[in-house]
This record gives sequence, structure tokens and C-alpha cells, in this order.
Amino acid sequence: MNHLTAVISTEFLKARRSKMPLLTILGFMLLPFVGGFFMIILKDPVMAQRLGIISAKAQLVGGTADWPTFLGLLAQGSALGGIVLFSFIASWVFGREYSDHTLKDLLALPTPRMTIALAKFVLIWVWSLVLVIFIYLVGLVVGRVVGLPAAPTAVFWASTARVAITAVLTIALATPVALFANIGRGYLPPMGFALLMLMLAQVVAAAGWGEYFPWAVPALYAGMAGAAYANMGSISYALVAITSLAGIAATFAWWELADQTH
Amino acid sequence: MVAIETTGLGKRYGAVTAVSDLSLHVTRGEIYAFLGLNGAGKTTTIRMLLGMIKPTAGEAKVLGMPIQRGRPQPWHSVGYLVEAPYAYPELSVRENLELVRRLRPGTDRQAIDRIIEQLGLTSYATRRADTLSQGNKQRLGLAKAMLHQPALLILDEPANGLDPAGIVEIRNLLTQLAQEQGVTIFMSSHLLAEVARLAHRIGIIHQGKLLQELSAAELQQQRRRRLLVQTRTPQAAQVVLANAGFAGELTANTLILHHPAALDCPDDIATLLVNAGHPPTHLAIEQEDLEQQFLRLVGIA
Repeated sequence: MNHLTAVISTEFLKARRSKMPLLTILGFMLLPFVGGFFMIILKDPVMAQRLGIISAKAQLVGGTADWPTFLGLLAQGSALGGIVLFSFIASWVFGREYSDHTLKDLLALPTPRMTIALAKFVLIWVWSLVLVIFIYLVGLVVGRVVGLPAAPTAVFWASTARVAITAVLTIALATPVALFANIGRGYLPPMGFALLMLMLAQVVAAAGWGEYFPWAVPALYAGMAGAAYANMGSISYALVAITSLAGIAATFAWWELADQTH
Repeated sequence: MVAIETTGLGKRYGAVTAVSDLSLHVTRGEIYAFLGLNGAGKTTTIRMLLGMIKPTAGEAKVLGMPIQRGRPQPWHSVGYLVEAPYAYPELSVRENLELVRRLRPGTDRQAIDRIIEQLGLTSYATRRADTLSQGNKQRLGLAKAMLHQPALLILDEPANGLDPAGIVEIRNLLTQLAQEQGVTIFMSSHLLAEVARLAHRIGIIHQGKLLQELSAAELQQQRRRRLLVQTRTPQAAQVVLANAGFAGELTANTLILHHPAALDCPDDIATLLVNAGHPPTHLAIEQEDLEQQFLRLVGIA
């Protein structure tokens, strides 16, 4: 077995034995069901009011009950919920070594520290992608059960691609969170950082500068602020990529150079 | 051959000096005990030797190689246990060892069975690490350190958490490793009594500085002795002994003599007192215990 593969397998074993994968799946699975709930309301708001699903006073947002709208909701949910959830995964994967006091066992080995940190990033990326694929598949079932009308193939796949690209953009932003898990030596500082970025993204996007703030880019791309804001310049995607790479490089540097006294 | 060599090694955290000007030479196959109170600088030294902390002064070589991050050597040949042993709580003993095996390329699968048996963990192999007793967690920590049969073991307080039988077992195991396989063992401890039974050489560290290095035999020779004398008339007896050249201090009706001749021939003291009409009611040589000796060596007692 290739050595990097062996190191990655250790990270997967640690994750598999914990309850975290199950908890994250359960948490993220709300998304397609909430999307399905909105589709039911949009399909027949009068019936939804009569059945008591929504209050008579409820203000319904615009939109139609179809696959592009439904998958658009999944993309927006992945952008907003993903920032919290993928950050949680990154916090756990790195922060647990500090909380469980196991980091010291990873530092004086023939396996380079950077290889171990890289294996952790691979776990974060794979874990997050699997979650997105999972909620997408659940979403397909929910959409069918709700009875969404068939969409043209090109439209359907374009909406699917939007979910996928939103997810990739959001997952990419988990790497600075990993850095904060190391600097903060646990779970809380990185989660604080992620929530702060999420709040700042709202403020910056409201001010009209969202396309230049990496944490606002996935939600804008997903159509959170409307279709007009979804087509950003390549600078927005470059900023996400640079932030992600900076998070990886800084985490590697931290593992290699920082004094490890924990 | 030198297993560990440090020259003027030091570590400062701002105004606080954790370790200062530490020069050590540990030869291969030796059991070297690094003795000091809590906070003396033992763990900081061990972390510097393992490349976890960058020294602010001096340098260290492990198995002949300067410590450089990102290089697989010398870590292929080093096993270690730093501070309290921790393991991934939701993984079993065997799985925890399997993780270490995968991170140490070249370690065969049989090594896990071998070390589980060697450290008496067979009946706990499938138990989750968080359900282990403190003693068994310590055994697991030692098993992780020894899994790949290293040439050098760096162990921070290896007897921590073990019951008396476990301490004897680990002591025998470490002695056997050093004697039969030539494994070098560098261990820290704050228990002189424990290291006196195990170590070939002892380095005493206090407030970040190496105070003294001595062999096990020298440690024994340096234990202080004193002669305790009690009579019904201690003041008069003190005068008699002082006139004979055995000046002693009187504490709570007991005369304490440190004179080598008195320690070598206590019967002469008894004869002297009997002849002077102050026969001893109690005469005993008391040897300083290891705890007292340790506190004296670090300058506390």
C-alpha cells in the first residue's frame, strides 16, 4: 500500500469509529426535506394553508415547484449550512488531536507531519463531498415523492452542476478553519471563526461587495441574492482558491514549525 | 556510540527559562534516568529531543543525527511516550496499535500481537481505549512506543499509573530490553527510588538546569548516614563526645553524629559513653532515604 494511502486510511479509521459521520449526515439530511416541504407549499399554497402546514398569514416567497427551484434550494442550503457543517468537520478532524491529547503521537514519526496533515485534508474533502452527494440523492427521492414535474435534461443537469460547484466552493473554505483548529488547539476557536465569517459574509454581501469576500461567494453563486448576482467574475473564484490554498499552506507550516507543547 | 547528545541546549518562553545550558551524553545500551521535580524541565527536554519544540539555544543529536523536521530519520529507530499516555478513545487497543503500525512503515502486522502479549494486554486487545484502567492506558502507551522495536526509547514517567506489580513488570521489561537487545532507554521520573533500581546513570535537573550526573553506584555512595545516640543525660554525653573529637548536635534528646569514625565504629562511641558513666539507651546508624537524598540533591532539603 502506498504510504500516503496508508496514512489516509488511519484518518478514515478514526472517523469511522466515531459518531461524527452519522451526526453530520443526520444534520445535513434536514436540507432536502426542508426543500421538499417548500415544494409542497409552492405546489399548492391554498391546500397547504387548509391543511395547517403553513399559517394563513405566511408570506410565501416567489418560485415555482420544479426541479431547478428545488435543486437551487439544495445549492443555497449547501452554501450556508455547508459553511457551518464542513467547518465542523474540519474542526473535529484537526481539533480532536488536541482535545484527545493524541497530537504528540503524530509528531516524531518516520511519516512526515505534512503527510499526516494532508491525509486529514483528504478526509475532510471526501467526507464533505460524500455528504453533498448523499443529500443530493436524498433530494432526488424527495423531489420524486413530492411529484415535481420533469425538467428538460439540460436544465436538470445545469441545476445539478450548480449544487456540485457550490459544494466545492464551500468545502474549499474549510481549510482556514483547520488552521484555526490547530492554532486554537480544539474545536471552539475554529467554529467561532467559521460563524464569524458567515456573519461577515451577510454584511459584506448586503453592502454589495460579496463577490470579493470568499465566504460570500458560494451563497452568491448558489443564487442566494438572485440570478443577477450568481454570475461573478473569475476573481471571485480565484479568491476562494487562494483562501483555500493559504489555509492548507498555513496549516502545513503550523504542523512543521510551531512548538507543540500540547 | 552516543545515543543522545545535547550541547548547551536551552528553551526560553519570553522571560521564563524552561531549560538552560543542558549538555547530556547518553551512550547506546544505557538506561539513563532524568530526574527532577514537576516543572523542572524534564518534559520540555524530551519534547526538544523529539523535535516537538524548537530549542532557543544549543543543539541536540539523536542516534547521531541532528534533529531536523520533515526527515524520517532518526524517528524510524525511536519510540517515545510523552507525559500521560493518551489513545483514540473510541478505538480498541488493537486498532490504536494498528494506527501506529501504519504510521511507521516497515512494521509488520505480527508486531501488534507480539507487543500486546509482551505488555500483558491480551485480554484487553478488543477493549475500547476509553474503558481501560489508568495502568492499562500506560501499558498501551508503552506498547505504542515499543511496537516497532526501536533502538532508542524516550519515556516520560513510564511508571505513572502502574500498580506495584506493574511497576516491577515494566522495570524488568526495560532492564531486559537494555541488557538483551541493547536498547537505549532515556526516561524521566520524579521518583529516585524507582530510577535507583533501574538506571545505569542518573541526571538530576532542577529549575531547568542539570545539577549533577552520577552512576547508580555513586548515588548509593552519596547517601548520607548519621549515628543517633540517646542516653539518660544527653547534655553531659554531648560534652564527653565533643571532648573526644565527636562533636554532635542535640535534637529532642537525641545526639546526632556525622563523624566518619563514629559511623564506621559505633561500638567505640558506646564504650566511650559507658566509661564516662553515660551509657547509651539507644544507638543506631540511620541512612538517608532516597526521598531525602533527592530533595537534598536538588537543594530543597
